[in-house]
Amino acid sequence: MAQLSDTWTITIANQGSGRFSVDAQRPLLDTLEEHGVDLPYGCRYGGCITCAAKLTAGAVDQAEQVALNNRQIANGYVVLCVARPTSDCTLEVGVDSHDKLYRNPFLDPLEPHELKPDIATPIGES
Amino acid sequence: MASAADAEATCCGPGYASPDDAMTAPAEKLLYTVALYTGTGIQKPDYLATVDADPESSTYSKVIHRLEMPGIGDELHHTGWNACSSCHDDGSMSRNYLLLPGVRSNNIYVVDTATDPKAPSLHTIIDGDEIKEKTNLSGPHTVHCLGSEIIISFLGDANGEAPGGYLHVNEDFEIVGRWENSMGDIPYGYDFWYQPRHNVMISSEWAAPNTFMPGFDLEEVGHLKYGRRLHVWDFEKREPIQTMYLGEDGLLPLEVKFHHNPDSTHGFCCAALSSNVIHFWQDDEGGEWKWEKTVDVENELHPEWPIPLPGVMSALLVSMDDKYLYVNNWLHGDMRQYDITDPHNPVLTGQVWIGGLLGKAPEVNGVEVAGGPQMFQLSLDGKRLYVTTSLFSTWDNQFYPEIRTKGGVMVMIDCDVENGGMSINEDFIVDFGQEPNGPSRCHETRYPGGDCTSDIWL
Repeated sequence: MAQLSDTWTITIANQGSGRFSVDAQRPLLDTLEEHGVDLPYGCRYGGCITCAAKLTAGAVDQAEQVALNNRQIANGYVVLCVARPTSDCTLEVGVDSHDKLYRNPFLDPLEPHELKPDIATPIGES
Repeated sequence: MASAADAEATCCGPGYASPDDAMTAPAEKLLYTVALYTGTGIQKPDYLATVDADPESSTYSKVIHRLEMPGIGDELHHTGWNACSSCHDDGSMSRNYLLLPGVRSNNIYVVDTATDPKAPSLHTIIDGDEIKEKTNLSGPHTVHCLGSEIIISFLGDANGEAPGGYLHVNEDFEIVGRWENSMGDIPYGYDFWYQPRHNVMISSEWAAPNTFMPGFDLEEVGHLKYGRRLHVWDFEKREPIQTMYLGEDGLLPLEVKFHHNPDSTHGFCCAALSSNVIHFWQDDEGGEWKWEKTVDVENELHPEWPIPLPGVMSALLVSMDDKYLYVNNWLHGDMRQYDITDPHNPVLTGQVWIGGLLGKAPEVNGVEVAGGPQMFQLSLDGKRLYVTTSLFSTWDNQFYPEIRTKGGVMVMIDCDVENGGMSINEDFIVDFGQEPNGPSRCHETRYPGGDCTSDIWL
């Protein structure tokens, strides 16, 4: 049965790996840094994807992020500086996880539903 | 190195009495360029690199000092001096400090370049959170001195939404507040340049930080998330008075430069995605400002691209004698020199290739180039053009992913100022792929004594 928790267990699957118990109310960048995980970051408010990581299991609340487009979200990317876990999670972190984060926009254009959420056309309306 | 500083010390304030005077200054012996680790996967701070540019030195063409910022993730980008020729008459001022804004962190690092020019040190930090709190600004870009004080364009509000505005900092690097009295209906900001004798400032448009920081999506241009206007300001009233709508000819209008001659009203902007030079001017004092497209770089066919490849003209620079205009095409890979003796009718006089996606120059002076010509700085005498290859970490990662392992390079181009023409200097190359902490990416370059994009005359 789903229930609210104060802490969740985060598994880092790359970069030497590790399992950490983190506060559910705080951004993952902050709590993982406190555990000594060396993570990239930039703006620290959800605007720039420097800290993006790939979520391969579990769920987060990243409602504050404004940087990811819908394709990046569909590919599992989360912005650690604002993402808070809502379950146990498994993450790949750092640029090693960025294989699908960056794409040449001319060679591989976005579909209307894949744009950032504020301008994307809902599927079925395009 | 003491040469430029000595020249300043023997006069009154910093810089030079005129552009003609600046052209007679001793040749640059040191270069400062920012170098990035943000977005590269290397968990080290961005830094200010000192490059030896003295051909007589044993360390010529090498990085001889690295000043690391205190933390990671700033994305150092453009830089500017605390003072320039605009306070040449003020003997109490000197060009001692280089300001390094972090686009992502919002911090402004003030670096002392005077105590030891070869080994600059951190003087103070204007805290990014304090800037947000006091002025509701983020995403710093262009730094200009304003007589004895400093203005810095910011592309966003504290939440990274457009249009942002202008931070006013005093000579002690304290926040005064917002510089502008009004942003009018300006949707976006980016670069700016001013010409005090005509009481004018021109500003350009990139996008909101939340739009450009994560990378470039072409579809967002169609959704009007990127700029296509220039704005004319009443400089004394600090408010916009005219908009020049450039439309499809002016997609992503980035760098803005006036003629150095303070009497001239002619200036130029490069529209990056349209790959056009926009020339603007005013015929009569107090009249409307006009614009025209004077250079249009055609898109090029690429064997693997479904649509033609735009040049991406992301930067532009005017020689100190106002005779030559230099522009890049970051994706095509060429640097161009135009004779702009008649600013309405530029004549292409030189072109060289450095990297780029068209495969014209994958290697320069034995170094494989990832990226294309992007930022550049010209010597005061107009003869040496230093070119770097990285644009912005996320955009680099999209268009030139191999830059992660190869890093950026700095190339020097010899410019023929008599007859026109450019050639790559075979004795100079700085390979930032070989940096001690791993491949980094070099961006804007400046000289200790002032350069061709730093000084304004009152």
